[in-house]
Amino acid sequence: MTTHEVTAPALTNMLEARGVTRRQFLKFCGVVAASIGLTEAAIPDIARALEIGATSGKLAPVIWLEQSSCTGCTESLAQVGSPDVATVVLELLSLNYSETLSAGAGHSVEQAKEDTINAGGYILLIEGAVMEGWDGNALRIAEEKGTDIVAHAAQNAVAVVATGSCAVDGGFCAAKPNPAGAVGVQAFLKSRGINTPVVNLPACPVNPEWIISVVVDYLLLGKLPDLDKYGRPVLIFGQTIHDNCPRRGHFENGEFVYRFGSEEEAKGYCLYPVGCKGPQTYSNCPIVRWNDGASWCVEYGAPCAGCSCANPLKAGGNWVDVNAPFQKRHRVVKIGSWITQPSTIGAIVGGFMVVALTAHGFGMKLAGRVPSGAEFEKARAWDVKHPDKALFPKTLKKDGDE
Amino acid sequence: MAHLAHYKEAHPTVFRVTHWINLIAMIVLIFTGFYIHFPFFAGFMGIARGAHIFFGFIILINCILRIILAFMVDTAQSGGTRKVDKDYKNWLPQKQNRHQGLQWIKYYLFMKKDHPLSGKYGVPQKLAYLAVPVLLLFMGYTGLALWAPTADMAFFAWGTALVGGIMNQRIIHYFMMWVFIAFTMIHVYLANIEGFAPSKIMFFGTEHGGLTYDPDDGVVTGIDEMGHEKK
Repeated sequence: MTTHEVTAPALTNMLEARGVTRRQFLKFCGVVAASIGLTEAAIPDIARALEIGATSGKLAPVIWLEQSSCTGCTESLAQVGSPDVATVVLELLSLNYSETLSAGAGHSVEQAKEDTINAGGYILLIEGAVMEGWDGNALRIAEEKGTDIVAHAAQNAVAVVATGSCAVDGGFCAAKPNPAGAVGVQAFLKSRGINTPVVNLPACPVNPEWIISVVVDYLLLGKLPDLDKYGRPVLIFGQTIHDNCPRRGHFENGEFVYRFGSEEEAKGYCLYPVGCKGPQTYSNCPIVRWNDGASWCVEYGAPCAGCSCANPLKAGGNWVDVNAPFQKRHRVVKIGSWITQPSTIGAIVGGFMVVALTAHGFGMKLAGRVPSGAEFEKARAWDVKHPDKALFPKTLKKDGDE
Repeated sequence: MAHLAHYKEAHPTVFRVTHWINLIAMIVLIFTGFYIHFPFFAGFMGIARGAHIFFGFIILINCILRIILAFMVDTAQSGGTRKVDKDYKNWLPQKQNRHQGLQWIKYYLFMKKDHPLSGKYGVPQKLAYLAVPVLLLFMGYTGLALWAPTADMAFFAWGTALVGGIMNQRIIHYFMMWVFIAFTMIHVYLANIEGFAPSKIMFFGTEHGGLTYDPDDGVVTGIDEMGHEKK
């Protein structure tokens, strides 16, 4: 790769003004390339695609809608010590509307959104769950129901990117008992009969590199990435965290952390016994990492909570309901109002069997069936009752003879 | 003496071998399964997973082989006789089992004093033995749905999506293990509570004297002591 292939003074100046070096920018493009399954050879193309905005002024219009969320996904994008490449790049997109990031406010910004929707051809990023509770009144923005806002904006979009777990399947907003009726964007649009393609980017919060990957993929190739059965890009969510975990060696060696604050934890052993959900959570977190590639949950020392698991069209498929409690190996099982771990139920079944069989053994002893068993019946009870239809008449005859 | 004689024909050598394989595989699978669920001591995960997957395949192949052999190998039609039939006929409900289900339940619950007559197995026993291969294949299916190299195959991924994800699949696999543990406890208990002769014939092919039984007439016909002292 040679850097002279990407020469865009406007962008370079813009990046440098924000404290981002050319080197950092290309490194970022490399992460994007890896996320969408391209080789390093594609880095100049990616850089060019990102530069389109800066050089031609043809910014890809983006609307960022915030529904029921903690704004963590916006934070994930925006909250960095120095200007982050991802933030700068997102500014290269024409972010025409964002509750948190837009400079404008009130009617002017609502008008900007409306103009963008009417013009069409924009990518709609949605952060947070759609609240269907109280006929959509659970969440209102600018005197409109959240449900109507999402449906209206999605209608004209070229694609909807459900950004973060809440937008994907309701996330923690949809965790039981879900009083406000939170659902994911895909399920909501399906119920409204809106067919705009949806890309699901779960995780709590979303990784900004993934958003850029999807957007760049779209800008470069003019199509959305390949999606798995949960609508997630295959190349981002194709392998488990466990598959690429830096602690995987300790797992295979049987070196585990059983207790926080222990010697094993200090040694950086595998977090499996303290509830790490890495083996069942599909995401490239260990490769892309977070906070500008600084680190990520498991590397920091926290067991994976499985936040990127998703089941957009199934109620109760959100990562909190599926994975809580986070520091146990299994989710809880609910029998009526009794909430317990599967291992407790297993132990009860096993314990019951031991008690029942021991009691039965004493019964057998008392009944004189140990060790020789009881005497055989002379004839089958059914045959005795139905002598005319008897299956084995000889047993009856013998009985009668005696 | 209220046992039917235990003849070799009840469990021909090949079925004693499949039973041995089942026993060993079950012990390894349950132990390593518990370990994989929660590694209760250090340094064993690689071996535990390797052994779990290896013996998982062994028990699946053994199960399928056992079903195929049931159509090829003759076994005794019941205890106390050397009369044989294709094994699958003795595995499935026989004429001798008809109308005996309730009698067996009553016998087990001490509501019936005398021992019910039966075919090769009693009615609850037959239900259990017919369920085991189905449960084993189901267990294999859930296991392969969790094993990385096969989990993404459409056939297994479909089942994982159906039950609502890997976590649920894991819990089903875990509960199924407890079903096998419960089965094994009942199985071992019932096989040995009225003496060890059934275990001796199953594991070592050691015959033991007892009552003789005519499966055609469904009737106890006499005693074949085979040198064992009558009690």
